[in-house]
Amino acid sequence: MTSLMNKLVLATAIVAAPFMTAQTAAAEGEKYILVSHAPDSDTWWNTIKNGIALAGEQVGADVEYRNPPTGDIADMARIIDQAAASGPDGIITTLADFDVLKGPIQNAVDQGIDVIIMNTGTPEQAREVGALMYVGQPEYDAGFAAGLRAKGEGVTNFLCVNHAIQQPTVGERCRGYADGLGIDLGDAMMDSGTDPSEIKNKVLAYLSANPDVDGILTLGPVSADPTIAALQENGMAGDIHFGTFDLGEEIVKGIKAGTINWGIDQQPFLQAYMPVVILANWDRYGVLPGNNINSGPGFVTKDGLTKVEEFAGEYR
Amino acid sequence: MRQALIRPELGGIVGTVAVFTLFALFAFDSGMFNSQGVMNWTIVSAQFMIIAVGACLLMISGEFDLSVGSMIGFAGMMIAVFGVVLAWPMWIAIIITFVICCALGALNGFIVVRTGLPSFIVTLAFLFILRGFTIYIPQTIERKTIIGGIRDAAEGDWLAPVFGGKIGQPLFQWLGDAGIIGVFERGSRAGQPVVDGIPMLIIWALVLIVFGHILLTRTRFGNWIFASGGDAEAARNSGVPVNKVKILMFTFTAFCATVFAVCQVMEFGSAGADRGLLKEFEAIIAVVIGGALLTGGYGSVIGAALGALIFGVVQQGLFFAGVESSLFRVFLGVILLFAVILNTYIRRIITGER
Amino acid sequence: MADPIIQMKDIEKHFGSVIALAGVSVDVFAGECHCLLGDNGAGKSTFIKTMSGVHKPTHGEIIFEGRPLDFADPRDAIAAGIATVHQHLAMIPLMSVSRNFFMGNEPLKKVAGISFFDHDYANRVTMEEMRKMGINLRGPDQAVGTLSGGERQTVAIARAVHFGAKVLILDEPTSALGVRQTSNVLATIDKVRKQGIAVVFITHNVRHAMAVGDRFTVLNRGKTLGTAERGDITPEELQDMMAGGQEMATLEGSLGGTV
Repeated sequence: MTSLMNKLVLATAIVAAPFMTAQTAAAEGEKYILVSHAPDSDTWWNTIKNGIALAGEQVGADVEYRNPPTGDIADMARIIDQAAASGPDGIITTLADFDVLKGPIQNAVDQGIDVIIMNTGTPEQAREVGALMYVGQPEYDAGFAAGLRAKGEGVTNFLCVNHAIQQPTVGERCRGYADGLGIDLGDAMMDSGTDPSEIKNKVLAYLSANPDVDGILTLGPVSADPTIAALQENGMAGDIHFGTFDLGEEIVKGIKAGTINWGIDQQPFLQAYMPVVILANWDRYGVLPGNNINSGPGFVTKDGLTKVEEFAGEYR
Repeated sequence: MRQALIRPELGGIVGTVAVFTLFALFAFDSGMFNSQGVMNWTIVSAQFMIIAVGACLLMISGEFDLSVGSMIGFAGMMIAVFGVVLAWPMWIAIIITFVICCALGALNGFIVVRTGLPSFIVTLAFLFILRGFTIYIPQTIERKTIIGGIRDAAEGDWLAPVFGGKIGQPLFQWLGDAGIIGVFERGSRAGQPVVDGIPMLIIWALVLIVFGHILLTRTRFGNWIFASGGDAEAARNSGVPVNKVKILMFTFTAFCATVFAVCQVMEFGSAGADRGLLKEFEAIIAVVIGGALLTGGYGSVIGAALGALIFGVVQQGLFFAGVESSLFRVFLGVILLFAVILNTYIRRIITGER
Repeated sequence: MADPIIQMKDIEKHFGSVIALAGVSVDVFAGECHCLLGDNGAGKSTFIKTMSGVHKPTHGEIIFEGRPLDFADPRDAIAAGIATVHQHLAMIPLMSVSRNFFMGNEPLKKVAGISFFDHDYANRVTMEEMRKMGINLRGPDQAVGTLSGGERQTVAIARAVHFGAKVLILDEPTSALGVRQTSNVLATIDKVRKQGIAVVFITHNVRHAMAVGDRFTVLNRGKTLGTAERGDITPEELQDMMAGGQEMATLEGSLGGTV
C-alpha cells in the first residue's frame, strides 16, 4: 500500500503545480473573458489571442481566452455559463449559433456582466441578447462586396471552398458572394473538411471536373493554403481568379506572387483589441462608442502589403 | 476493512476526493462553488454520465461504441428534421428518433455479432456514416447545417419537458428570495434566482445510473453482461445468450446517446451538424477512469459515474482555477494514466489476475 | 449390474474426408469413473463432443437411460443431464465464484414484480457446495481468478453436479495442474462418483487414470482398443496401448521407465 501512497503524493504534486503559478499570475485589474467558437486546430484565432493579450497589457486588465476544444457550440454555451459563474467584469463572445448561445449570453447580461459580441453574429442579434455592441464584419455583406468586386473582375463561374460547413455564418460568405456575382449558389459551395491534403485534392478534382470555373473563393487560411498548393500543382495559379477571406502568411505570399487577387481582411486584431479597450473604458469612465464597429471588410491587394506581411498571423 | 475498500469503484472514489480537495484548495472563492458554478459543472458531469452509463455497460459486455458522438449529432438532427422541418408534433418526433437511433444501435450490435469483426471497426464505420448523414440531410433539405426553432416547436408539448424541462423551481425561487443563492440583478429576469431549477438532464443522468447499477449488479441479465465480456465462449458454454446481450447493450448505448441529444436540443433549441464531436472518447475515458476494464468483463456503473464526475469537474474546474485552457488535455492525460494504473492495481488484488 | 446410463454404439464421425472416429463403442454406468485414454489426436475430443451434443455422429447410436438420443445442441444434452467440464473451463476469472457458479442458471427472487438475482441464495449455495468439495472460500464474492487451477476445476465440477448432472464429462482436468492440485481434483472425482454420478474422465496420463478409474477405454486413431476393468490391466499395458505398442517400448528403454 505504501507504493500506492507514494503514487498519490507524487500525482498530487504534479497536478497542483500549474495551479500555484496560475494563482500568482492573477493580479489586480478588471477581468475580461473572450469566448470563441473555434476549435483548437483553427490557427486564425492566434491573432485574437494576441489582440486581447496586447489590449489587456496596455489597459492593465486580466484577459482570458476560452474555446470549445472541438468547436462544439453546445460546449461553448457551457463555457459562457461558466465564464458568467466566475464573475468577470465583461465577456467578449462570438455568436456562432444564435439559438444556442442566446440563453447563456442573456443570463450573463442579466447577471450584470457586460457583453460585447465579436466576429460572428449580426448587429441585430447583438442588440437582441442585450450586448453593449457588435465588433466584426457582417458576413453576408462582406461576401456580397467580394462578389461585386469579382464580377467586375470578370468571374462568371465559381467554386467556394468552405472548411467550416458546421458554422452557418461562415457559409453566408459564399451565399453573399454568389448574390454579388448575380448567379445561383447551386452546388458551388464545397464542404472541404479541414484536412489540408484532403482540401487540396478535392479542389483539384473539382477544377478538373468543372473546367468552366474561372473564380475561386476560400473562406480562410484553412481552405486557402491548400487551394494555393492545388493551383500551383495544376498550373492554374495566377490564371484563375482567386479571392479569399482573412489573411495569413501563405495568403500574403500568394497575393504577392499574384496567385491570389485579393484577401478580405476582417482585421481580427481589432475584433479582439477594441472590445477589451472599450470594456475597460466603460468600466472605468462610463464612456462607450455610440455605434457598432465594423472591423472589415477591407480588400488587401498587392499594393501596400508591407505591414500585413510583417505582422501576418500575429496581429494581421 | 480491506475487503470493503477494495472494490471496482475505489479508483473513482479516490479520484473524486482528490479532485474536489484540489479545487477546494485552489479555486474555492472563484465562483466554482457558488450555486451557478456548482450547476455548471454538475450539468457538464451529468452529460458525461448519461453517455458513460451506456458505454460502461457495453464495455463490460466486451464491446466498444465509437459512434456515440455521431449518434448524438444524428439524433439531434432527426428531432429537428421531424419536429421543425416536417413540423410533426414534438412527441412523435422524439419517439421516432428514439426508435430510429435504438434500431441503429441494434444494427451496430448485429453486425458486430454476426461478422465477428471487432466492434472498434464496425462502430468506427458508423461514426463516419452517421456524421455524414448529419451534415448531408439538413444541407440537402434546408441548405444549412444548423436547424433552429426546436424550442418554439416544442412549446406546449407533453413529452419535450421530460428532456428539456427543469424541476424544483419553487425551491430555488425560495432559496433565491432567502438570499442563499444569487439572483439576477437586471433585465427581464431580475429577482429570479441565477439557478432556477434542476434540469431534467441531471435527473436523466441519475435515473440511468441507478438503472444501470441495479441492472448490472442485481439482476440475472447483469450476470450475463459480466459473463459475455469476461469470456464469451465460456458464457456460451454455460447457456448465456451472449449475442442477445451484446446487441441489447449496443441498443442501450444508442438509447443513452439519444437521451443526451434530446436533452441538448431541447435546452438549446437547435440541432447542429457538429454536435457531439469526440463524445465517444469522453464516454470511454470516463468509464476507464471509473475502473472498467477495456477488454470487458469487469467494471462498475457507479465507478463510471464517478469517472464522469471527475471528468466534468476537472474540465470546468481548471477554468475556475485560472489554468490556461490548453493545459486541460495535459491534466486529462495525467488523470487518465493515474486512474488506469490505480485501477489495474486494485483489479489485480480483486481478481488475482497477473 | 444395472444397465449402463449411457451407451455409445459404434460411433463414427467424419469431417469431410477425414475420419475422426471410426466406430467407437463405450458404455458408462452410474457411479463409476470411466477413464478414456488416448494420445493427442486419438479422437478423444471428438468423442466427448459427440457425447455432449456438440457434434452429431455420422454413424452410430447413443442410448441414454435406455432411450436413443438425438441432441440438437449442447443445451439439450445439459438439460438431459450430460454436463461437460471443458479443458478451458467455462469459468470467468474476473467474476466471483458465486456469479460463476450460477452463470446461465441465475436464481431469481421477485421484488415488487421485478425479478432480481437472488444473491443471498446464490452465495449460500455456493459456500455450501464448495465446502462439500473441501474448498474453503474467503467468501462467495472471491473472484475465480484468485483460485488455483485445481480449485477452479473443482468449482466447475461442483457446479455441474449441483445442476443435476447424471453424466459428468471431464476433459483433461488434470493436464495443466501440479501434483497437489491434481490429487485434490482426483479426490473431487472420487466424491462425485460416490454420489452415483457417472464420470467420464478424459486424460492421457495413465497414473491419474489408474488413481480413480473403475474401467479404462483406450482410443487410438479413432478406434477403441477395448475396455478393461480395474485390476485387469497394468499401467504399462495401458501406456503401450495408448502409444500403439511398438515405438513406445523402445522409447521407454532409453528413458529408464520413467514415463
